[in-house]
Amino acid sequence: MSKLTDSLNKIQSLEELSDGSTVLHRIHPMAKMITTIFFLVVVISFERHQISGLIPFFIYPILMMAIGEIPYKSVLSRLLIALPFSFFAGLSNPILDRETAFILIGIPVSYGLLSFLSILLKTVLTVMAVLIMVATTPMDQLARQLVRIRVPKIFVMQLMLTVRYLSILISEASGMMNAYHLRSIRQNGIALDHMGTFLGQLLLRSYGRAERVYLAMKCRGFDGDYHFAGSRNAGTSDLIFCFGLCICFFILRWCNFSLIVGRLFGQ
Amino acid sequence: MHMADALITPAVGGVMLAVSAGAIGYSAKKVKEELDDKKVPLMGVMGAFVFAGQMINFTIPATGSSGHIGGGILLAALLGPHAAFLVISAVLLIQALFFADGGLLALGCNIFNMGFFACYIAYPFIYKAMIHKNFTAKRISAASISAVVVGLQLGAFAVVLETLISGITELPFGSFVLLMQPIHLAIGLGEGIATAAVLSFVLKSNPVLLDGYNEEVPNPKMQSKRVIVILLAAAIVIGGFVSLFASGNPDGLEWSMEGVAGTAELESDSAAHNTAAGIQQLFAFLPDYGFKGGSEESAAAGTSVSGIVGGSITLGLAALTGYLITRSKKKKVKCQS
Repeated sequence: MSKLTDSLNKIQSLEELSDGSTVLHRIHPMAKMITTIFFLVVVISFERHQISGLIPFFIYPILMMAIGEIPYKSVLSRLLIALPFSFFAGLSNPILDRETAFILIGIPVSYGLLSFLSILLKTVLTVMAVLIMVATTPMDQLARQLVRIRVPKIFVMQLMLTVRYLSILISEASGMMNAYHLRSIRQNGIALDHMGTFLGQLLLRSYGRAERVYLAMKCRGFDGDYHFAGSRNAGTSDLIFCFGLCICFFILRWCNFSLIVGRLFGQ
Repeated sequence: MHMADALITPAVGGVMLAVSAGAIGYSAKKVKEELDDKKVPLMGVMGAFVFAGQMINFTIPATGSSGHIGGGILLAALLGPHAAFLVISAVLLIQALFFADGGLLALGCNIFNMGFFACYIAYPFIYKAMIHKNFTAKRISAASISAVVVGLQLGAFAVVLETLISGITELPFGSFVLLMQPIHLAIGLGEGIATAAVLSFVLKSNPVLLDGYNEEVPNPKMQSKRVIVILLAAAIVIGGFVSLFASGNPDGLEWSMEGVAGTAELESDSAAHNTAAGIQQLFAFLPDYGFKGGSEESAAAGTSVSGIVGGSITLGLAALTGYLITRSKKKKVKCQS
């Protein structure tokens, strides 16, 4: 049950965040989408032992989260979901690849450890980048941009409707879970025997609801098409945002900023 | 088994995004052809249902572990494969955006691993073939458990291949496969049982909701075609796994390689070399039935991958031939009538 309410809270808090009015919220959604995708590609294009080159990329999420007023707690809760898979997939690296890359203050650092850390850094960076986009752009605006880049409209409509129904269904499901748990003391989850009936019941209720929603939509003139509210065109500031950041990422990809700074201080 | 962005290279992510985008385009076209606008809100509700349903755990008796429903087969059984594929893809995109469950660049991989295999392989060739228009509780249970298990096995294997081709982790192919497949067998059984329970309930309470419930029993010609496809699928699996194990005990071999050389892979540092190697791995990763790395480890992986690729090419050719034959037959029938 906590899982259900948790995820409900997560969606709602992200929706609230995306409704904000900071400078970052006002940037055109397409500019944010392109920047985010470019950032992701650049970050994961780093070769697997690279760490120092990745670190300067934290400038982007840290600055944007400050500008966009995104709380750091939301990053942590997302990392809890994203990190375990990367962690276990990467865990074998330090075990299998023990060749020493360099010696740091007397401690040998292996290539395996480097590639493991590199995976973790990339995970944190990619998770933060997506969060920044979602937390500063309302879902319907993102969906509209998807239509513009020729993603099939039926898929985008599907996306929007699923998001809209999610909170309804999750609250329905958690109500049913509550009722079930009140009648079955000291039991985690639902007994296998009841699973079919429980989920089946939820499914039938959902069907019934879908039918009523459809009728209501029909009454309001639904013709099988989802109409998006008009949005403004991209302006100069959006172009500067998008191209400026992409060029910065590009420069950071080819010049190792950490090394340059390190050498400056080394001398 | 949602793939993260950090575990793939841009090339792998890009290729898989393109593949999945193609599949979405295809299914969108198919859905539009057969869709009445009534199904649109239904699809949205079903996406949300699967999303919520996956968060409800049930306890598996006597094991102390828990499981939840699997999405793909359940959706396909209710909405048909094309609509189900769209719904699953949307759910995966939402998971990537709102929950960081699977990356945005890895979305193509995830849609392929969890949507494509379930909706376009396991559903038509296992679930539908096993039910064979004869909806009984037993058949539905057996069919949905087998379909979920096979779908997850294929998906898990694809995760291994995508990770391997990306080359981000050091995990040797053999160990990774031996780690992933049994885990996903257990997960698949759990998800399959839950899916079977829900579908049996639907059969009892409102069977019209099941995809294909009202269609008439097909002609025997279709049946033989299905048998051929199943045989070919088995050939791929056998080709992949047997060729791996035929090369001796790969696991022991890799570990001993590690012991001797410290690492079983060659290091290369220049970015240009890496990009080139990435491209080469993508487009020509089977020279001489092994990876170009030349080490024993990559040879074992390469043999197995060759088995799969060879199997797929064979399957593709067979499917093409089958298609051409049926088409020519249909034409003949038309001419006669």
